[in-house]
Amino acid sequence: MAASSPSNSSLQPLSTAENDLQPFFVLHKASHHGKDRTSAGQGKPRKRNKLSLRSPQSANNPEGSSAEECDPHLCQKTQIEAFDIVWAKIESTIKDVLRDLNASVFNNIQQWVMECFNTTRLVGEPSIAEATRSFPVLNNTTPLKVYSALVITRNIEFVDDIMTFEELGLFLKSHGCHVAMLSSMEFSLKNGIAGCLKALLREFLGSSFDPSDIQTLASWYREQDNYNKPLVLMINDLERCCGSVLTEFILMLSEWVVKVPIILIFGVATTVDAPRNIFPSHALECLCPSMFMLVTPAERMDAIVEAVFIKHCTTFNIGHKVAQLLRNYFINQDGTITSFIRALKVACLLHFSTEPLSLIQGRVIVEDEVRNSGLSPETMLKYLEELPSYARNEEVDQTKKSMAEGLSELLTVQKLWSTVVLCLYEAGKYSGVRLLDLFCEALNQVLYPSRDSVCSKRDEKDHGLSSTNDPCQQYSIMQSGGSICQIVRKVRDLPSGKLDQLIESWEELTVDISEIHEKLKILQSSVRCKDGKSSRRNSKDISKRGVSKGSIHNDKDSRMSNLHAIAFLDDLVRNYLRPIEGIPFHEIFCFKNVEKLQLVLIGDPRRRIQVDLLEFHNILHCSCCNKSGKALLPSMHDSSIMYSLAQEHGDLINLHDWFQSFRTIVLQHTNKRKQKPKQTPLPKKRKDMSGSEDQNDASIQARFCRGVTELQITGLVRMPSKRRPDFVQRIAFGI
Amino acid sequence: MDQEEAPKPPRRMTRFSASTSTSDIVHATKGNNLETRTMNDLLVGGDSISLDDIIASFPGRSSQILEIARLLGPLNSPVLPLFMYGGASTGKTSIILQLFRHLNRPIVYSSCRTCYNQRILFESVLNQLLLHRKNVANAYTNAKRCERPSDFVNFLREALTSVISNLKEKSDKLVSGNKIHGGMGNIIYLVFDNFHLVRDWDKSSTILPLLFNLYDMLKMPEVSLIFISGTSPDTFYSNMGYVEPIPIYFPDYTEGDIRQILLRNQANQKLFSSFLDVALRPFCRITRQVGELSTALKPLFEKYCEPLSDKGKGVVPTEDMKRRLFNHIKPHIASSLNDVFKVSSPPASKVKVGKETKHKGSPKRSERFEEIGDLDFHMSTSAKYLLISSFLASRNPATLDASLFDSKGGSDNRKRKRKASEKVLEKKEILEEELLMKGPGTFPLERLIAIFQCIVSVAEEPYDEEEPNNNELGAECSNGSLISDVLLQLSSLCNANFIFKGKSCPIEGSTRYRSTISENLALKVARSLKFPLSKYLYRN
Repeated sequence: MAASSPSNSSLQPLSTAENDLQPFFVLHKASHHGKDRTSAGQGKPRKRNKLSLRSPQSANNPEGSSAEECDPHLCQKTQIEAFDIVWAKIESTIKDVLRDLNASVFNNIQQWVMECFNTTRLVGEPSIAEATRSFPVLNNTTPLKVYSALVITRNIEFVDDIMTFEELGLFLKSHGCHVAMLSSMEFSLKNGIAGCLKALLREFLGSSFDPSDIQTLASWYREQDNYNKPLVLMINDLERCCGSVLTEFILMLSEWVVKVPIILIFGVATTVDAPRNIFPSHALECLCPSMFMLVTPAERMDAIVEAVFIKHCTTFNIGHKVAQLLRNYFINQDGTITSFIRALKVACLLHFSTEPLSLIQGRVIVEDEVRNSGLSPETMLKYLEELPSYARNEEVDQTKKSMAEGLSELLTVQKLWSTVVLCLYEAGKYSGVRLLDLFCEALNQVLYPSRDSVCSKRDEKDHGLSSTNDPCQQYSIMQSGGSICQIVRKVRDLPSGKLDQLIESWEELTVDISEIHEKLKILQSSVRCKDGKSSRRNSKDISKRGVSKGSIHNDKDSRMSNLHAIAFLDDLVRNYLRPIEGIPFHEIFCFKNVEKLQLVLIGDPRRRIQVDLLEFHNILHCSCCNKSGKALLPSMHDSSIMYSLAQEHGDLINLHDWFQSFRTIVLQHTNKRKQKPKQTPLPKKRKDMSGSEDQNDASIQARFCRGVTELQITGLVRMPSKRRPDFVQRIAFGI
Repeated sequence: MDQEEAPKPPRRMTRFSASTSTSDIVHATKGNNLETRTMNDLLVGGDSISLDDIIASFPGRSSQILEIARLLGPLNSPVLPLFMYGGASTGKTSIILQLFRHLNRPIVYSSCRTCYNQRILFESVLNQLLLHRKNVANAYTNAKRCERPSDFVNFLREALTSVISNLKEKSDKLVSGNKIHGGMGNIIYLVFDNFHLVRDWDKSSTILPLLFNLYDMLKMPEVSLIFISGTSPDTFYSNMGYVEPIPIYFPDYTEGDIRQILLRNQANQKLFSSFLDVALRPFCRITRQVGELSTALKPLFEKYCEPLSDKGKGVVPTEDMKRRLFNHIKPHIASSLNDVFKVSSPPASKVKVGKETKHKGSPKRSERFEEIGDLDFHMSTSAKYLLISSFLASRNPATLDASLFDSKGGSDNRKRKRKASEKVLEKKEILEEELLMKGPGTFPLERLIAIFQCIVSVAEEPYDEEEPNNNELGAECSNGSLISDVLLQLSSLCNANFIFKGKSCPIEGSTRYRSTISENLALKVARSLKFPLSKYLYRN
């Protein structure tokens, strides 16, 4: 039996402020609040909701109370403005990144389309009379095949690639192709072949035709110079299409392939084998497939993380726990870039709505435009004083000047941090470390002091390179574990050619940062002189053919330069990899509230439904049930009463008992008697009731039935089975 | 299918002496589509071809060609309906079209694949008879709107009478103009290709008798019907009392015929013939369809030519070379028997494909080991676990779940089972065999989720030990959230065709699922999770 009372109390604080963000509401009787709740779906409606959310929230936190002193509306407005600016910037960055990633594949596809088109034209172009005739063109070559590209999207979830295919469509259109986009919706068993032909004609010809047949397309293609451009048909989710319809469609296309040379582009989510599983062999025979690979979601993710969080780290950043949450969500649950971006947007929005000082952020980005609007510097200082990290840091003078200094220091520290992460990532490319993991680790504040202490121990112990057995072990970064350690281990074993490449790439990365660049110069010079020696020795070796001695020396030398590289990395990590959360003023740029984001991101609808049913008054805010506490009152919503009652049962609920207890509670007010819900109804009570009992009973029974149905629809109970007709089964247990 | 040797100019503009002028106009006014169709559009067109040429270009089909030619008879002789049938790519359509090209008589051709329902079939036939062409000017509409069979018969009668009178006029003119040879005659032939597809249409019970009855209904000796079908007439008839069409059977080609057909259009006949000596026999055991064979043999022939310089052009193979080439091709034949679908890729990503083909080329055993490599597409961790649990649910009998996933571990139970008598073991073996024959079993959602939960809880323990620096929150998140969105993951797995969902009421929850993935894929997924799948599989 699930005890209702303790879980209730533990969840109470959780559900007060966040109710508005939940998309699931069972209690449809609450009509006065219902309107703006139903719109709490995604993206933009949520933004509007946020606005209304501000007022109850600000009563709770101290920052909010000071915000109320100045004009809250103005404050909100500027917050939204700042959010818009920042988010627009992030969004455009992401878009650019994704476009760059896809560019080469798109070019390949376009080239392939043109090649296919040219080969079909070589066969000979039928005249308009021939092309519109109904019988196949007789030719003496082997039967032509339908050229088809399999674009492997490499993600089982399809959401990310809708955008990709749209962009591919635009790209091909701009390069002179007729492009049609169909989705699996058109290839359903219900609509059959007629549905997909209709959609095809609509895409190519621009209007729909009642009996749509491919002859129309043939007539259209052969007139008005349309035949100078290739016809490309994109079906972006092959796996979801109905196999039989698609087979028919392809057979039909292959009948017309000389007259209407359509080039197919399929989006395949899983493997190249997918078409083999969908089509029968006589349809496969008609296809002439080529394969194109898109970048994997993990690569895309790395590119986005690099562009958004590391290269532009001062725009908006996230704390370690938030990063961890996003990473886990991406790897374990969803695996789409789309939801990652959405989560990021939510985080950004939450950040701006809860952190009053985040306004500065928008200002940093567009320093000139927003300068004279919004809050005065005095109020800003007020906010600053309330920042926890500011209060902790006592040395900081309480003047504007020091504030500015603090901010600029934050920026420089961040810049150094990002450079170090990029250097590490560059090295990590050799060992296949994902940037996302590295990013999470680099943000981890827990690791940062430990690094410090370990290295100080090392300093006390020794600073000679040869004192321990494995000279690498003394570097603190080797001992920390995780991806940084993995990277360093790989650097240790890197062959010298690759090491040189790595150092060169480091040089490019650190050009702007003088502090690191100087250190790199030292590293370079030491490596270079080793290289010089070894190369001289190398040439000698080759001439002498005295292999063994030379190679040992060579090994030692390259090992030394590897050690130098590790020392360089160790130095960087120790001195510059300061997680943003440890720096004063980081609250301005950094979103840390992981609980809130988690709540928004992972809806956990069934749990919400249960919580809402049990604690409906948090939503309804009605006066009648508010004061009652845990006791069930007849004025409550039927489903709530019933679900609360159901808590007392095991996995099977006896319908009769349930009804009786429900009835007792509903009839309470006529009796004017308080009654505990746990008590089973006594027959005595029925005798007390008034004359309208029959009518009452009928209506109560109806309400009961409706309640059961509602609970069934929300997935909390299951209807009685044939074997046990008087029991419903509870499906959801606990919260 | 279109196997015809007579060389033709790429554009057949001069199809028919009388139509030269019109087709020139056709070409000139391509842009504005004002040209109309003439009776000549009912001809197949092309240069005239002799009957001998046709017979020569279709090896092994001479009896059928002669039979049809005999049935069609001389000009203006009425013909009973014909029913040509035979397997795919046995030359039915090509032969009939070439014959009409030879005979130079008007046909109305409609393929029941292109015309996918009765309305489109009717309108397509009428369009051709009324010499109607869709274009921008008429907004790509059909000549007549015709949905009901009764309308069709009426329209058809009208159209036919006008066409036939037109034809008669023309042939009268020709007769008067002393050109007896080369007339189109005054019989029009209606050809229905892919006729077997009609059986799958919605109203096939009315349309089939209609089409078979058409000859009787129209009572026009100038109309002749030809049905081309993939299946025999027995699959259509019901005793309806109409004139039975004359059946002409196109049997599958023999190996010798296939050899001849494949040999045509080859640059180096001798080399290809030596290749066919080696490769044709095993492939012919699987299929006799020319189309399938030619697609399957083409890449193999390229492989065959690999050791030769200039890809085997102009090489006359000697005995020694043949032997060498045979040894070269031998390992590839068996593997390519299963490779119906070969995906090529553009030069940019050729490196990867090169590797893949290497895998395929290697002997079978090593291929199996190497292929269980990485998973080359992204799946979230919980989807992976779900996929594995669905695989287990499909493979293992439900009765074993308790022993496999019990918290005590299945070891005790197994020991007990090992002691069981031989009879029981035998029974078990039979059961195992039965399982194998049945294929993946179905399972309800509850069982899937129960297994999923067990697997996740077991698998997450070592995961935490492995990465101790994954701080509390991270572990907590992964723990909690792996289980939370299962239904979402399930639906995306269903969409990817990895899990098959039976149809049933979703609220009742009695839907049954079935995992359709291969063991290979399941092993790949398990490996990416470091999950000991074989420990849980009943068969192993």
